Amino acid sequence: MLSKEEFINNAKIGKILARKCTKCGHLHLVTTYFCQNCGNKGFENVIIDGKGTVVTYTIITVPPDGYEKYVPYAWVVMKVDNSELRISGFMGGIKSPADLPLGTKIKITDHDERGIIIGKQ
Amino acid sequence: MEKVCVLGAGSTKYGKLDDSITDIALQASVDAIESAGIEPKEIQAGYISNVFGIADKQVHLGPVIMSNLGIPEVPSLSIESACGSGSVSFREAFANVAAGFYDAVLATGVEKVTHTGTEWTTTYFSYCSDFFYEGGAGASFPGLFASMARAYLAEFKATEEDLAMVAVKNHDNGLLNPKAHLRKKITVDDVLKSAVVASPLKLYDCCPFSDGASSVILCSEKFAKAHSKNYIQVIGSGRGGSPAALQGRDHITTIPSTKIAAQAAYKMAGITPKDIDFAEVHDCFTIAELVDSEDLGFFEKGKAVEAVRQGRTKLNGDISINPSGGLKSKGHPIGATGIGQVAEVFDQLTGKAGERTVRDAQIGLTHNFGATGASCAVHIFKSV
Repeated sequence: MLSKEEFINNAKIGKILARKCTKCGHLHLVTTYFCQNCGNKGFENVIIDGKGTVVTYTIITVPPDGYEKYVPYAWVVMKVDNSELRISGFMGGIKSPADLPLGTKIKITDHDERGIIIGKQ
Repeated sequence: MEKVCVLGAGSTKYGKLDDSITDIALQASVDAIESAGIEPKEIQAGYISNVFGIADKQVHLGPVIMSNLGIPEVPSLSIESACGSGSVSFREAFANVAAGFYDAVLATGVEKVTHTGTEWTTTYFSYCSDFFYEGGAGASFPGLFASMARAYLAEFKATEEDLAMVAVKNHDNGLLNPKAHLRKKITVDDVLKSAVVASPLKLYDCCPFSDGASSVILCSEKFAKAHSKNYIQVIGSGRGGSPAALQGRDHITTIPSTKIAAQAAYKMAGITPKDIDFAEVHDCFTIAELVDSEDLGFFEKGKAVEAVRQGRTKLNGDISINPSGGLKSKGHPIGATGIGQVAEVFDQLTGKAGERTVRDAQIGLTHNFGATGASCAVHIFKSV
């Protein structure tokens, strides 16, 4: 089983460590143990470019503990290019919806105490 | 399978309460026992739903409640499924009575958090998300539902005014409910001008953090008939699950667990959504009521907005949605909410709902989920 640490190390260089089902090819994020599509347990590691587009997002003004100094910031769901995989994370520097139309091209840039970090391409 | 009935129900007022978590749980439980017209010693098991007992220094609530009801020997368990804890607990109580293990049980839900403040609750509630991707990347619960809202508004060409109309309608209903947390008439303009919490959701799009407790007595039909004429029957029960994180869902504007739970409940009841006279649905945020009412089959996908604009979901509209005021106005003590919905249906179908009574109602539905709908239970009740 892959560790969160390896996933995080990949996010730090803009990559997504995914698990591809050896039976049906369905892609999952690192934390899945059994294929959600076919139930198979066999996976192979796949490293995907962490680029994609904005599916949806919010701009948070009342934050959970630890995020006060970043307000306002966005939390974004991204569809990964050339795959059905979606991933979400933190995106700073977004103050109004005009800053981030749906469909905007974005990418994973890092992982730190704020979680997975996403930025514009 | 035994036929299962709800024989009695009780609730505290929802809001900022001074009494302890144990005290309010007991107040609701005693009300339910008296409403059912039974003696505590007739209760054979207790199902206690609660999420943040730790905030008021009391977890393992079951034995404390049972002891204070004078029945320390009666078994109990605590159930946590985030904001869906109450309905999930109700389902377990239902299943055990239906299976014939018990003739009569107590299901009490309780939450006591308002003394902790907004920062504590915002932070601790975010632990109910798939934390690595959501809470751990700065997403609050309003933020997760705001993300659903942004996708919904774009996909179905709805507006923030449409969301506001849901809040206005539920506040109108809550005004008629003496136990509601926010009894205040509001306008669309009030909602639109309220402070942004997580865009596009504003303060009045969000339900409040509430304290409160609700309790019901479930029993076999035989037990019900022997005790009262004023009871209702559970005719459908369904549960479902969804990918825990929003990113895991093919469509952000639908909640899979609601559909799965509703289909199972309708199938058990042998009815369709058209047969439902009123529904208490999980409107933790205005967007959720739109999504819920579509996923429950009351309206086609994307059409709930039109129904709200036409007033079809108002009290005594085509289908009354959240006659109690819903989570939005009645309040959301998260461990109690699912049980409180059943208490509302009990009051509605036994002539105890006062000014907010849905006319000629015979069949009511409850829908309650945990987190962004990762876990869900739907129940259907009919008057007898």
